[in-house]
Amino acid sequence: MRNLLRVNMTDLSVAAESVPEVWAKYGGRALTDAIVYLEVPADTDPLGPDNKLVFAPGTLGGTSAPNGGRLSVGAKSPLTGGIKESNSGGVAALALARVGLSALVVEGVPAEDNARYLLVIESDRSARLERVDDWAGLGNYEVADKIAALRPEGDKYATISIGPAGEAFAKASGIAISDPKGYPNRFAGRGGLGAVMGSKGLKGIVVSYAGTKSLAHADKEAFAAASKRFSAALKGHAVSGNALPMYGTNVLTNILSEAGGLPTRNFSSGTFESADAIGGETQRDTIMARGGDVGHGCFAGCVIQCSRYWVDKEGHYKTKGPEYETAWSFGADCGIGDLDEIAELDRACGDLGLDTIELGATMGVYMDSGAIAFGDAAGALAALEAGLEPGNELRVLWDGAEATGKKFGVSRIPVTKHQALPAYDPRSVQGIGVTYATTPMGADHTAGYTITANILNVGGSIDPLKTEGQAELSKNLQIATAMLDSLGLCIFVAFPVLDIPEAFTAIHEMVEAHTGEKCDPDALMQLGREVLTMERLYNARAGFTAADDRLPAFFYEDKLPPLNVVFEVTDEDLDSVFDFVDETAAQMGLK
Amino acid sequence: MIIQLALFAYLSRYHPDGQGGRTARPIDVADGATVGDLIARLGLPDGPRVVLVNGRHAGDGQELSDGDRLAIFPPIAGG
Repeated sequence: MRNLLRVNMTDLSVAAESVPEVWAKYGGRALTDAIVYLEVPADTDPLGPDNKLVFAPGTLGGTSAPNGGRLSVGAKSPLTGGIKESNSGGVAALALARVGLSALVVEGVPAEDNARYLLVIESDRSARLERVDDWAGLGNYEVADKIAALRPEGDKYATISIGPAGEAFAKASGIAISDPKGYPNRFAGRGGLGAVMGSKGLKGIVVSYAGTKSLAHADKEAFAAASKRFSAALKGHAVSGNALPMYGTNVLTNILSEAGGLPTRNFSSGTFESADAIGGETQRDTIMARGGDVGHGCFAGCVIQCSRYWVDKEGHYKTKGPEYETAWSFGADCGIGDLDEIAELDRACGDLGLDTIELGATMGVYMDSGAIAFGDAAGALAALEAGLEPGNELRVLWDGAEATGKKFGVSRIPVTKHQALPAYDPRSVQGIGVTYATTPMGADHTAGYTITANILNVGGSIDPLKTEGQAELSKNLQIATAMLDSLGLCIFVAFPVLDIPEAFTAIHEMVEAHTGEKCDPDALMQLGREVLTMERLYNARAGFTAADDRLPAFFYEDKLPPLNVVFEVTDEDLDSVFDFVDETAAQMGLK
Repeated sequence: MIIQLALFAYLSRYHPDGQGGRTARPIDVADGATVGDLIARLGLPDGPRVVLVNGRHAGDGQELSDGDRLAIFPPIAGG
């Protein structure tokens, strides 16, 4: 029997429930989606009392499954207006799973506007809301310190928090999750879920897992055997076993720039002259020269260990990474060619509680308006922080690229379903364009990461400059990713899984051995299809149509230098991606 | 003929001018040389690679032309 916790911010009640049997196979994204699908009316105000904020570890969360510790956070998104699952590393998924929670559901809004609460979940699963009004306006790092001061010596706990941006209901605000060292530097960044948490008066959550154990399995030996094989595959693959731990995600900067797909200066070019200065190799060299840390996991049980800490010139911790997406968004997309400047912007977003992908893309749009110059990092930082001042017009930056572009009269606004595009230009990487256009998440690269076959020759090769095969590639990856997100697996396991059949086998063997329920490749793919089906049906109810599954016009019209290409995948191909939804909905008994 | 060669990540040490680094530098190749010929000449380790010629993916069989920009990456990925 699995447990979930409901917390009501209106009457401040906390109640434990069983997870309904019909959701037995659902964890992570599948579970957050199911709860939002069933319980949040699709036409509700995302900042109102009827939205719900759901946190769920994956099916493998809290076990010793390698790389099974990701967290899903779900709600109706204030940014996209559709269903959202925002996925994060850090220790919260493990903490929730180990105290025996499959989900935490936060409902309602506080009776008093200025109320701030901290939700405390102890390792025996008891939970209470504490009033923390004087924490209003604190940055995430200070919240982490405040929570540390409240916890007993030697406690093991995860923190989940919002900064002033979430409290201000900013549409680009995210939710910070603590990493193994307690830094609040992992993020459920996309889609404005920080604002949902802010609208519920919830400033922070602490989940203590001291004294808890790794979860038991239905078949301990089978699990251990599959887990060992999975770990070996992750470590043996050149990407997950070597390149990622060595260079981190930012190793992508040079190859994307070389392939003409690194969106530069608000998507006006696909190559950045300073790419190498902000790329993963330079990042690694610099961190090591300054005595910093390269190659650690963002949660216990990760065997890939691609994370690193950026340190300043004096060797002091500044922020994590920065990740490729942030090195791009505040780097190439803003014409900034300096990792220290990018790290400063990353840290500021982390503390304010803002999605770096959205804010970097937003800053690129803002620079394109001429208000500040491309490359003006100091101006960017000032603009970012201006939102703290009540009534400052630059508060609009915290609402994302579309709001900013409209306010400042910029015609090149790179968003789909109102969410900013990440670090790959769809004109020179046509497959990711299909994902951006069609995923129910809004422009999201992780939802169906075609960069694998389009650029990296992982899981095959599909020419990024042609339209052939892109829709099928995106569809299959969207299904597989929805499945991985539901199991709690880091999507970087996809790199070895796409190349090594035994790695995929190990996944369904671990799920079966842990749950005691039969699980095979068909079951895994069905899980992925069910997740996407819930999302598509919800979005349709929220008013989305085929017109929302398209890219902005300029991607079809403006040739992207240096390859001088446009996005050419047909509407027909885009509309074919979800051809399985009707059948899957019927199988699920949904309409 | 002269092409520009850039080697990335842990391949940069294989640049024939011995300078390491990732900037593209000119090297002399025989007329009609292919990508595969050059890779053999550089002594790159066996295994998967990504090769881009003038920004487009290229296989080992692709013939090089004067002024081409050749970029070679070991297996890498990110997010």
